[in-house]
Amino acid sequence: MGQKVAIVGAGITKFVRRAQETGKELAWQAAKMALDSCELTLDDIESVSCGTAPDAFDGVHEKGEYLSDGCGGWRKPYMRQFVGGGTGVFAPIHGWLHVASGMFDTCLVVCAEKMSSCHPHPQGAFKTIFDHTTEQPLDPTLVWIFAMEYNRYMTTYGIDKRDIALVSVKNKKNAMDHPAAQLPMEITVDDVLNSEVLAWPVNRLDISPTSDGAAAIVLAGEHAAKRITDKPVWIEGVGWNLDSAYWASRDLAYPRYVEKAARMAYDMAGIREPKKEIEIAEPYDPFTYKELHHMEGLLLADRGEAPQLLVDGVTQRDGARPMCPSGGALGVGNPIAATGLMKTIEIFLQLRGEAGKRQVPGSPRCGLAQAWGDLMQVGTVVVLKR
Amino acid sequence: MGLTERIERNVDLSYFEGRIPVNYLYTYGLGFEKFFRALKEEGKLLASKCPRCGTTYFPCRVFCEQCFCEIEGTLGVSGEGTLYSYSVCHLNMDGSPKKTPEVVGLIEMDGTDGAKFVHLIDAQPEEIQIGMRLKPVLKPKKERNGDIFDIKGFKKA
Repeated sequence: MGQKVAIVGAGITKFVRRAQETGKELAWQAAKMALDSCELTLDDIESVSCGTAPDAFDGVHEKGEYLSDGCGGWRKPYMRQFVGGGTGVFAPIHGWLHVASGMFDTCLVVCAEKMSSCHPHPQGAFKTIFDHTTEQPLDPTLVWIFAMEYNRYMTTYGIDKRDIALVSVKNKKNAMDHPAAQLPMEITVDDVLNSEVLAWPVNRLDISPTSDGAAAIVLAGEHAAKRITDKPVWIEGVGWNLDSAYWASRDLAYPRYVEKAARMAYDMAGIREPKKEIEIAEPYDPFTYKELHHMEGLLLADRGEAPQLLVDGVTQRDGARPMCPSGGALGVGNPIAATGLMKTIEIFLQLRGEAGKRQVPGSPRCGLAQAWGDLMQVGTVVVLKR
Repeated sequence: MGLTERIERNVDLSYFEGRIPVNYLYTYGLGFEKFFRALKEEGKLLASKCPRCGTTYFPCRVFCEQCFCEIEGTLGVSGEGTLYSYSVCHLNMDGSPKKTPEVVGLIEMDGTDGAKFVHLIDAQPEEIQIGMRLKPVLKPKKERNGDIFDIKGFKKA
């Protein structure tokens, strides 16, 4: 590749159920914050990447074009990328491609989502990602997939649902220290188990909310990065991978595609023992069990063993291997594309020692963010180092 | 043939009709909410001007797309302007003829540095020409809802 790439600035709006701002206004707020954080202006930006999930959320066709002014795309090389829920971590990868290729020295990467437009709930839009001939007539919701995956995962390894519920307790508590958080709260395992059942075994508190919000980062090539900041955080590895388009035919107990994406990123970053070398991670947690499922796919836990690490406190913010110190999608909120970028930003801040109350001990040097999406079969991974 | 395909009959096992079950609640946003409140309540038309680079926008916006500066204030404009381009539409979406041809135009707004706005033009196709002066026609206050048809259209000034 042409050059190394660093994250040099970041911005994030508050995640809320319904924002007064339009998607493009949210995008502008996050992008402006990211530029201000590293004392750059739009004039310093050579290329712009926008990440945003289905057009149907905002009810705006060609949402990438619609959001372009808020993303700073006016009269610049601008491109939108989209891999469903995986978009937010594909965003730094997409920006990395722009800069690592040597084509540009800077790239402003912006992710925005306005899920509240979709009424009464985005499930109506989600429905259309199922096959229109064999599946849509059954009136599926996304929760079907998660419920069956949750059940298969739990049954395969004999996991107690109480242990999985702990993810919600941990992440919502972590979110209490995140200024952008939508659902910070202190709850108990019983609160999770006693919350409304959506589709067994998925309860209300197992699931992340729908949200409006935006996040942005500034990427710079090696020389530019060193000019801009004393504390660049380098993108050392990137990986992405897609499983079968037929979700029903997948292995639900183990996300092989996440492993393939992770291995791609680890190979690039020279990581041979991820359990030792990845000191902090933000696996995608739109559902409780997914944090654990993804930890296993990322080779950060042995198969079926992630729940025990959680129970033992290893993945707490002050544990040996903190997971979702931000509060994750469950606590901070889940404006789809912006969530993955929020996770990338959390690792960026943690590695710089700038995470405030959320700062994990031990001055970590290497971390990872991951997201997951499309029809629940894409894995996107970035490995960051300082 | 219109702009949309007319499906005349169902063909067994070739296709079936589908529907995406979604409705939308669109947010006006910080910029357009100011515009539509002033239009509905005061019959005023608001533009905005970037304090840094001076670019003007109509309707008003809260940030400048060119230099990314925040725009806090608004700028009242008369609503009059000059026709920049136009078209005369003869068919409806389904291919049926319109009862009377409809003129749509882009109006370059006075008091801005060339901000343009699209709306219907209340004029006979024969009398319309690029460069003609236009003024907005607002609905009476009690009929205004805070939507784009609070301006019924533009007519010759």
